[in-house]
Amino acid sequence: MKNRADLIIYWGGNPAECHPRHFTKYTIMQKGRFIPNGRKGRTMVLVDIRETPSAKAADVFLQVRPGKDFEVLTALRAVVKGQRVDAAAVADTGLSLDQLTDLANRMKACRFGVLFFGMGLSMTRGKHMNSAAALTLAAELNAFTKFVAMPMRGHGNVTGADVIMRYTTAFPFGVNLSRGYPRFNPGEFSTIDLLVRGDNDATLVLGADPGATMPQPAIRHLSQTPTIVLDPKVTHTSRLAKVHITTAATGITAPGTVYRMDEIPLPLKPPLVGPYPTDEDVMRRIREAAERKAHIAA
Amino acid sequence: MLRIRGGKVYDPKNGVDGVVKDVCISGGNVVTDVDGGRVIDGTGLVVFPGGVDVHTHVAGAALNFARGLIPEQHRNAHPIVRDHIRRAGIVGATPTTFATGYVYAGMGWTTVNEAAVPVLSAKHTHEELRDTPMVDKTCCVLMANNEILLDLIEAGDHERVKHVLAWHVWAAKAYGVKAVNPGGVEAWKFGGDAKKLLEPVPGYKTLTPADIVSGMARACDELRLPHAVHLHCNNLGAPGNVSTTLDTMKALEGHRAHMAHLQYHAYGGDDWLTFRSESAKIAEAFNASPNLTCDAGAVLFGTTVTITADGPWQHLLYQLTGKKWGNLDVENETGCGVVPYVYKEKNIVNAVQWAVGLELLLLIDDPWRVSLTTDHPNGAPFWRYPEILHLLMNADFRKEQIARLPEKARSRIILDQLTREYTLGEVAVISSAGPARALGLEHKGHLGVGADADVAVYHAEKDVTKMFSHPRYVIKGGEVVVEEGELRQVVEGSVTAVKPAYDPEVEEFLRQLFQQYYTMSFDNYPVTPDRVHGLQVNELN
Amino acid sequence: MPTLTLREPPTVPLEAETITPDVTAGLTLDAVRALPVYHGKRKLTVGDFFTVAGEPGESIELHGDLTRVKWLGKGMTRGAIHIHGHVGMHLGAYLAGGRIDVTGNAGDWVGGEMSGGMIHVRGNVGGQVGAAYRGSASGMSGGTILVEGNAGIELGMRMKKGLIAVKGKVRDFAGLQMKGGTLVLMSGAELRTGAWMQRGTIVSLAPLRLLPTFAATCTYSPTFLRVYARHLAVHGFTLPLAGYTRYAGDSSAFGKGELLVYTTPQ
Repeated sequence: MKNRADLIIYWGGNPAECHPRHFTKYTIMQKGRFIPNGRKGRTMVLVDIRETPSAKAADVFLQVRPGKDFEVLTALRAVVKGQRVDAAAVADTGLSLDQLTDLANRMKACRFGVLFFGMGLSMTRGKHMNSAAALTLAAELNAFTKFVAMPMRGHGNVTGADVIMRYTTAFPFGVNLSRGYPRFNPGEFSTIDLLVRGDNDATLVLGADPGATMPQPAIRHLSQTPTIVLDPKVTHTSRLAKVHITTAATGITAPGTVYRMDEIPLPLKPPLVGPYPTDEDVMRRIREAAERKAHIAA
Repeated sequence: MLRIRGGKVYDPKNGVDGVVKDVCISGGNVVTDVDGGRVIDGTGLVVFPGGVDVHTHVAGAALNFARGLIPEQHRNAHPIVRDHIRRAGIVGATPTTFATGYVYAGMGWTTVNEAAVPVLSAKHTHEELRDTPMVDKTCCVLMANNEILLDLIEAGDHERVKHVLAWHVWAAKAYGVKAVNPGGVEAWKFGGDAKKLLEPVPGYKTLTPADIVSGMARACDELRLPHAVHLHCNNLGAPGNVSTTLDTMKALEGHRAHMAHLQYHAYGGDDWLTFRSESAKIAEAFNASPNLTCDAGAVLFGTTVTITADGPWQHLLYQLTGKKWGNLDVENETGCGVVPYVYKEKNIVNAVQWAVGLELLLLIDDPWRVSLTTDHPNGAPFWRYPEILHLLMNADFRKEQIARLPEKARSRIILDQLTREYTLGEVAVISSAGPARALGLEHKGHLGVGADADVAVYHAEKDVTKMFSHPRYVIKGGEVVVEEGELRQVVEGSVTAVKPAYDPEVEEFLRQLFQQYYTMSFDNYPVTPDRVHGLQVNELN
Repeated sequence: MPTLTLREPPTVPLEAETITPDVTAGLTLDAVRALPVYHGKRKLTVGDFFTVAGEPGESIELHGDLTRVKWLGKGMTRGAIHIHGHVGMHLGAYLAGGRIDVTGNAGDWVGGEMSGGMIHVRGNVGGQVGAAYRGSASGMSGGTILVEGNAGIELGMRMKKGLIAVKGKVRDFAGLQMKGGTLVLMSGAELRTGAWMQRGTIVSLAPLRLLPTFAATCTYSPTFLRVYARHLAVHGFTLPLAGYTRYAGDSSAFGKGELLVYTTPQ
């Protein structure tokens, strides 16, 4: 991207405010090996439901009606391949067929295109299918030019969790181990769905604050069943948990590895020394205690 | 202390070919004799040095990307149920890390070489290797599309090529150097490829894939790396690529090279309709080139997933299959593509591929120079190796299988004309002694005094697939880890890295370019030794 | 027929794929009681949760609030299961034959990847009915699913063959990536019906908001509808035979699917 991308599309994300170093470190502002003129050598397109501060940085801003991203992406896939689309139905998305055609032409004409999609796409109506639409569009564009897509993820080291789940269980998230081996089914085993249905009878929360972000039924279930929180600070979840254990903050008082959105690992070197144990320490001690207890019971 | 008494020992490196004798083990090594300790009765059993895989993909960002792409395969794969020694996992085409260790050791393989590591994500590869027990590990760092290196080769600055290569090997805590589709992955970053060995790589003035191949091979030789340049030739998988492969052999100018998954580079024909085997031509040239080793990259029919740094090939495969496709570009170094795939017996191209892998194994006359691999998981998952051994050892069984192929496929292969049958001694060469020698691992692949005590003990039987799938005993580093076909204990493996000598000045040279073109801090780029579990350093002067 | 009555709803999901006529047909009631089920991570028996009465036989009757009981009738090939009450996820997944009837609601993945047989739910169903499990190339490849109540998202996702009919409301992505077969939506559906479909037929008796990648082709009274209408009429689903507008799509997927939307005669 830094060295090659001449078309950069942000879809359903607001990097100017949410990923403030993205423009300067990775994308539009950088001079790259094959983009010697930096910003002048690149076109940026922003697609969103409102004109966020990121729009100022964009060459083209396309305002989509809320909840219409899937329709736009699907229509784009057809336009890119020269297939017919219904102009009236396109207009219903907030964009005109001309705007879509212009975007499709830019995508096909660039040398190296990137589509970043944010939570404005992946967490709105259609969810995983919106992401699938973005990824499929990018894959199909490779019949014409080089095109890649990448999710703009939030919330700390979510990519790292995803990576480690994959190599230990073969699945990225939504994994169930109750039968002694990994099974995967988002919607059935993903945290939010388990909590909303009340399918679990205890919860261990590591590096997250569901008490602040999840819907009411999930929060209610957390407070009605034993919940244990490991966190450097007291979170919303800690307040409704049975147990809170303060742990060292990774990158501040504990070493660790964080994964970038592109799954490149970066080592974290703690600048400070703190009094609290690391998450790893605590988990190991809990496991050892549980094993001792099981041993005594046997 | 341990004595395996009275087994029929196959130890080709030490000239032992089916001799009934004792193998004695103490302190993790093979010794001349032991006094006391456990005795395993080897009567009627076959004793091999532990298997060595010279080319496999068991850890790293690309493989892990593939894992995420195939939940439907995992769902139907063999699960590892957690018990008092084993962690939960999934086997299938891309086994999870712990499962990888259990399954390799479970069939008597105790050393693996992860063949493709980008420096940028090498930290991640080592994280996965750390969670891969039961086997000792090495890996090869991907360099043939590294822009800094390519510029130096184009400029003819050979001295610096050497130092840059050496720096990267140590930075990745790698053991060897891998070249994948030299120049082609670089070209793919703008959607191109480099199919012609003697034509400039798109984006370069004069630099050809041949320049990259010879420059890297020469540097590896001059650095005296224990393993030659690990070479994935240009034009993989394409009809008629035999000429590219032969040109590559010439371009090496006598330098050592290990030609990876040769099966994928031995095709004739002008297009998919005329696709045919050219294994005879490849084997002839290979037999006449003592500077080369290779591995088979054999294909077996069935479901798997293909993963390679060869991005343009993977995009083609996606267009051919019309199914799933994933692509990763790794900044200025390399990239990879992932496509789930089913090799079908009734598909003529697949049938030819199946035959070519076996043909090469049978036509290359020196078993020391050809290793058993499937380019796991590309040709088939590694746990299907015993099926290949079965096909190599039993010509009648092979004939039965050939008879199942479509008529058209049978006219494009020569497998039916090959009557050679592998002996047990030759199997010990291609699965252990040979790959150990190709890698330059002196303590692996044999049972001489001082060797690492990695031993596989099989019960000889007609059903070769069964014999090699279920060893009676497996000993890893002197510990009995498999007994009566069951995993009895889990042991950790080591990671061997090579530290070649390089001019410290090269670090400043790299730092400047790195900060200009990469997106992370140069100081965070190398893998620090403390991140590699069980690191053993082979320091070169 | 063995009658299984759930004593009280389990606290965490109970996985009971052993409760299917293929397993129970030859078994004594005691043997049925001894069949393994998984309560969360604990392996227990049918008898720990259900009272088992009646006679051994080819059919099974279940009573109680089975909302947290999963995988009933998994892969069954024959016989019948009658469920009196609500039931949990994966009911009749991989069904190959036989018949399942539910008086109440059913959870997600009813008839997931089924290849034959029939499932009839009087209440509502969850999402992914007759769908492909994540990553699979195809969903149901035969058989019939009838729903009297409402259905969730991704109804018939990637289905290849067979029939699904829903009387109530249907949420988004009905017929997503459909490859064949027929969906009948008696009360229409919310958004993105037929998204990315390649082949197959979706019949809707209520107007739909279509994706831009569908185009009206003609008004239509297809003869094949008579076959389905007769089949459905037996179960109380009435299908008009004429008065449809035909839309083709999804053009983003080079699709040759068709959407038949019933237009009330003016």
